Formats: sequence, structure tokens, C-alpha cells
Amino acid sequence: MLKSILLLIFLSFCIGTGVWLFFIYAVKKGEFDDIEGAKYRMLDDDDDDNEKAP
Amino acid sequence: MLAESLPLPVCSHCGIEFPTSDLVSAKMDGRELSFCCHGCHGAYLIIHGAGLDSYYRRPDRQAATVGDPTGSHFDPEYLNQFVVRAGDSSHINLIVDGIRCASCIWLIEKALQQRPGIQSARVNFGTHRLLIEFSDSSISAAEICEYLARLGYHCRPYSPDELQKSADRERRDLMFRFGTAVFLSMQLMGFSIALYAGYFQGINPQTRQLLQVLAALVTTPVILYSGFPFIRGAWFSLRNRQPNMDLLIALGSVSAYSYSLYALFNDLEVYFDTAAMIITLILAGRLFESGARRKASAGIDRLLKLVPSRASRLTGGEWISVDSQQLQPGDIIQIHAGESLPTDGIIRSGEAEIDEAAATGESIPVLRRAGDNIISGTLNLSGRLEIEVTAAAADSFIARVAGLVEQAQARKAPLQRLADRVATLFIPLVLLLAIATFFYWGGGKTGLLHAITVLVVACPCALGLATPTAVMVATGRAAELGILYRGGDILEAAADLKTIAFDKTGTLTTGRPEVISCHPADCSEIKLLEALATAEAGSHHPLAKGILSYARQRSIAYQQPRQVKTIPGRGLLAETEQGNLIAGSRLFLESQGLTLPEPSGDHSASEVHIAQDERYLGYLRLADQTRPEAKELIEALHKRRIRTLLLTGDLESVAKALTEKLGIESYTAGLSPKEKADILENLTDHRSMMVGDGINDAPALAAAGIGCSLAGSMDIAVENADLLLTRANLSNLLQALNLSKRSMRIIRQNLCWAFSYNLLALPLAASGQLAPVYGAAAMAFSSVCVVANSLRLKRVKLNDA
Repeated sequence: MLKSILLLIFLSFCIGTGVWLFFIYAVKKGEFDDIEGAKYRMLDDDDDDNEKAP
Repeated sequence: MLAESLPLPVCSHCGIEFPTSDLVSAKMDGRELSFCCHGCHGAYLIIHGAGLDSYYRRPDRQAATVGDPTGSHFDPEYLNQFVVRAGDSSHINLIVDGIRCASCIWLIEKALQQRPGIQSARVNFGTHRLLIEFSDSSISAAEICEYLARLGYHCRPYSPDELQKSADRERRDLMFRFGTAVFLSMQLMGFSIALYAGYFQGINPQTRQLLQVLAALVTTPVILYSGFPFIRGAWFSLRNRQPNMDLLIALGSVSAYSYSLYALFNDLEVYFDTAAMIITLILAGRLFESGARRKASAGIDRLLKLVPSRASRLTGGEWISVDSQQLQPGDIIQIHAGESLPTDGIIRSGEAEIDEAAATGESIPVLRRAGDNIISGTLNLSGRLEIEVTAAAADSFIARVAGLVEQAQARKAPLQRLADRVATLFIPLVLLLAIATFFYWGGGKTGLLHAITVLVVACPCALGLATPTAVMVATGRAAELGILYRGGDILEAAADLKTIAFDKTGTLTTGRPEVISCHPADCSEIKLLEALATAEAGSHHPLAKGILSYARQRSIAYQQPRQVKTIPGRGLLAETEQGNLIAGSRLFLESQGLTLPEPSGDHSASEVHIAQDERYLGYLRLADQTRPEAKELIEALHKRRIRTLLLTGDLESVAKALTEKLGIESYTAGLSPKEKADILENLTDHRSMMVGDGINDAPALAAAGIGCSLAGSMDIAVENADLLLTRANLSNLLQALNLSKRSMRIIRQNLCWAFSYNLLALPLAASGQLAPVYGAAAMAFSSVCVVANSLRLKRVKLNDA
């Protein structure tokens, strides 16, 4: 019983750490420097390539 | 022989109407395209050539900027100082001028990315900074800048100064602390829920011990790392003997933490979650605040950008392009039509109409000629000028305004939060009680335990939530209505105002001249309008636009003149099928040898006179109209005992007329930006608001308790506004004030509730009657109540006066 609890706790800690490291990486990469832009860029379809093709 | 009214051609690039005489037409893919100038044609060719035609179909596109056919000239040496090289790829930071909408950013990025040699280009939406990575061997920084200029966006290199760098570092640091706190708190929650369940349902002592130890492990970094700013703040506040919110937060979290550590070794219940939650929630609040402050500093950057970075200076008989920072008083520079002034000066030769909106907020251009002073950031609309520089760029008008704004931002004491004020009273009380408890229980172990329980129970959980939740709901509601608060303190300050000062042009008035009356001499009104509209068709002068829109309203048909000669600041001579028309000011017509009736002596409106083939037809009066909702707003403000003021750079007579019309209490006219700010600074009661829209209002906006801007204001005004009305409608201001009042009422209720809980729990804890776990449960319940109360703000009515 205690063993499985320990295992689960360890597992959740690992997942959490993964998310945390990902967050740190994102901050370092500057993903949060421009939080306004994402909502506009989302609307830009990438269909420009189709338009150029005949 | 009246021709039908010919619709004016519309430019395929920038979408504005223009006089037929300027037409540049081009054939492309079998379609006939018309452009208002070669610059727009060039910009269209670039966009079309890059396969980016979908730019013109984007729904959020606003009128495009006018391209610069020559692409301007950039000094490669100067630009190269800003290029950072790393291996094959280099990068440069630019600040881009002329970005108006998301489409502009889309276009810049796509167009640049298709240029060979450019690896990536990314514009920051908030600050309009453009980061370009390119390979130095195939394209130079100067080529990139010229390419952008041909598209219609001017840019200048940018290197962040120390202040900005440290602000960026601080924000990043805050983000790390917050992220870490969130991650660890989530882990902690799992352990805590298990422990709570164990308390009520029974738990294996061994498991309990394990969970407690794990909880302690994850909480420690939250307190020591994430909570470090609060502990440091608390330390400073103790040293200065000024209790503040930091002290309360640190006290609550550290005492909960240390009690839990004590409990851990004495087999009691632990409350690590309380300690970690306080810190996590309050860090989130700080993060929002820092975002708002960052926007304000970007505004100053963009203000300085109004001034061109290059100027053409006379050196040894030749015009040489130099960095405008190098200009010294006494230098002679030349300014062509369409260029703005790099610094202040006196006109030596030439005359031109100058758009001084940047300096005075006035929308109507004024005529400046030799000997007149001329201000940096203003725009030369017609004619070439030679100017003697009177101030180095660093001392110019725009630089001074930016300086004033910076000063005011720094000087503005942070509004004391309600909770901060509460803290000053509450903390000494709690500390005293804790000490009293300790000694009452005879010191020692029991005394310590009960004293710590007092501190834990006093912990400001609901107190901490009371303000932020209400602020969050209220700002969300406000955003739906088109009202943006820059922060919770603004919401608070707007609830209790004593004085509101208004700017005139563009704020109380629409900023667009409209026809108010027709005065035909000896012909019909229709005939007068026809002649005037024909003469003015295609002119971009604001008065002409007012006349044309009035003519369209009255469905008057007008033609295009065959040929027009504009005399800047006075009027124009037009050759039309109806004969020769002379339109313009009274003086202009008189100088053309016409006799006009006696002037009325009323100077509250501009007059435009017209004569056809030596025959005087009459005149129109145009005035900048007041916004229809302005009077109602002023009345409603007076009903709430708020003093109203009019601060304007305009003439005394104009200010007086408007003051009387709207019932504003007092006015001051002829003010410079600094004087406006001084007036607000010197108010005896600092509960003040300034409503304005221009660059000249920016220092006043920063100096006032609250700066408020309307949609369509200049960038710098928007950035300095604490309160922004995104629909150009003044009645939104009243809604904003109502919402603030309601929010403050809800916040007071919340605080009241949180306090009654604390007041009830404290004596129980002090007398040793309260097991901490019940205290924690009550705390959770009290927090839920506070959140539910705040949600009521979603539905309150705001339109009552």
C-alpha cells in the first residue's frame, strides 16, 4: 500500500517537474515577452502557400 | 451643364480618396489599378510581387501607410553599430513606426521572410519592436530598412538601455518565482488533501508522517525562494517601522510555515498549504501589475520615435544626411513636404502648412513662414523649408515631453491600497495579541503554540482574496463595455474623485470641423455649396473634408476641378467648368481684390469664403463640434459633486464659449503641456482625473491621479492612460465611474466579511479554544463567500447617473 503511494507520488512529482522545466525553458526562450501577439497570429491561416500555387 | 458628381478615385493601396489630378494608374493582371502616389504604387508592387495580396482582404486591416518611393536613405555605418553578429547569422533590433493593426505586423513579417537572406523576422505586438535575423553576406541592415520604408514603415535601430534591461530582468525573475510556486503548490495540494481526509477519516500514522514530510519539502522552496521578495519587503518595513502588506504576507506565511514545522516534530496537524497559497496567489497579482508598467515605458519609446532619426543638414554648401542627434543650434536643415521635424527651429526660408497636432492637439494645419518657430515632431504638409536649428535633439520639444512623462511616472506615488491601510492597523494589533497570548499562557511550549495559532488564524487569506477577485471580475466586465483599467488601484481611485479635467480638441469635441451655418451672399445656398464643394474636392485639408461631407449629406452634386492651385494657409484657386473659383479665408479673398461684407466679429468658428469669376458668393462657418454626450456627462459629474475643469492650449475665447455651453465650472486656456501637468500637480486634492488624447496631454495624464484616454488618441496618450475608453464615447466614462463605485462597495463588503471572521477567530485562538484545523476550514469557507460576492459585479446595472 505504502509502496504504491510512494510510487504514485514519485510519478506525479516527475510529471510536475517536467512541466516546471518546460515553463522555465519557455520563459528563457522569451515566449512570455509578447503575450499580445498570439491571439492575432492564431487567426493567420497558413494558406498563403496555396495562393501562390497556381 | 451641371455634371453629375464624380466619385473620387480610391487608392488601391492605402484606400483613401484622392484628387484625380494625382492619379497614378497601372495595369496588372488585366485589372486597372489606381494609386494616389508613386509611393503607394511601389508598396503595392512589393506586396503583390511577394504573393501577399491577401493582405488587402484581411478583415482587421486599417488604412495602409503610404509607401516612400525613394525608400529613404539609411546610413549603413550607423546601422551597422546595432547589428549583433554571431557566426553566419546576424540580428538587429528595430523599432517600427506606422504599425496600426495586426495586419501591418502580418505584412511586415511575411514580406521580410520572403526576402532572400532573411532568416526570421518577428514583431512584438506590445512594443512594436522588430527582431530580424539575417545573413550579413546576402543582405545589409540598410537594405532591410529601405525595403521597409518602401512598404511604408519607417524604422530606427534600437538598443535597450540599462533601465529597460533591468525591468526585463525583474519581470523574468518574478515569472520564475511564480512558476516555481505554482508547480510546488500543485504538488503540495495532493499531500494536503490526503492529510485533511486522513484527519477526518483516520489515517495510518506512518503514511501521515510521510505525507507531512513531503509537504514540508515542497513548501520550503516556496517560502524561501518564491516568498523571498515578501520576506525582504517585510524586513525593510520593520526597519523603517512602517507596517505594509509585505509584512502581513510574510508574517502570515512564515508563521504558518514555522508552526507547521513545529507541528511536524510534535505529531500535530500541519498547515503548509496555507503558507504556500498566500505566496502563490499574491505573486500572480504582482505579475499582472508588472505587465501594465511595461506598457507605459514602451509608450515613451514610441513618442521619441515620432522624430525622424536622420536630417538633411547644410554642410559647406551641400545637403548631407546626418544623424539627428548630431544637430546643434545654428545648423541649417531642410525639410521637404511630408517629413516631420527632427528638432525645434526657426524657419529661415520657405513657407508651408504645418500639422501641429503632435504639439498642440489642434487638427487644423497652420501656416508657418520665415521667422516662425517650429516644433519637433510636427509634420510639414506642403512646401520645402529651410530651418535653423534652435535646440539639440536631446533638448527638443518632444524630448522634453518624454522627459516630463518619465518624471511624472516616477513621481506618482503608488496609490496606497485599501489592504495596505488595513495592514497598518491590523498588524500591530495581531502582534500585540500574539505576544499577550504567549505571556498569558505562561510562556513556554503551550504559550508558543497558542501564540502561533493566533498568527495562523490572523493570516489574510480571505483578506488577500477580497480585493483581487473583485478587481478581476470588475475589469473583465469593464472590458466588455470597452473600458480598460490599468490596474486595481485605478479602479479604486476612480471611485473617489474630486476633480476631472478635460482637454478640448478630440476629447470634449470630435476634433473634426463640421459646417454649422451657410451664409450665401446673393445666390441660393445650393449654389454656394456647389461652388465650394467643387473647389475643395480632393483637398485633404480638414476644413475641406468638413465641407465635402456636408455637401454629400445635402446630396449636392459637385465636379472635379480641372486645375487647382493651393496657397498654403490661405486658400485655393480652382479652374472649373463653372469658371474660376477662389476659396479661402477672408484675407485671401480680399487680397485677390474682392470686397467682402463686414466681418461679424465672432471668432468661435472658421470661415471659408468663395467667389466665382470675381463675384462673391458667400461663406460657410465651420467649427469643431462638441461630442453629443458631453453635456450630459458634465451634468452627471456635477450631480456627484465632482469639480470639472477645461485645460486647453487653445484660445481664451474658444475655451470660454465651450465652458459656457457645457456648463463646465472653470477653464484655463493657452496652456503648454508642462503647465497642464503643473495644474494637476498643484491641485490641493490629488483625487483627480485628466481626460485627454494628444501628445500635449501626456504629461498631464501622467501627473493626474488617473489619466483617461479615448479611442483614437495618440499612442503616448494611450500608453499613459490608466483608464482607456476603447469606444470614442464619453458616456463610457460615467459607466467606468459607476463600476468603480460598485466594485469598491463589494470590496468593502469582502473586507468586512474577512475581518469579522478574523475578529471572531482571534479571541478563540488566543484563549486556546480553537483547534487550528477548524480555523483552516472556516478560512476556506470564508474565501468561498468572498469569491461569490465578487462575482455579483458581473451583473450590476451601470447606467444610472
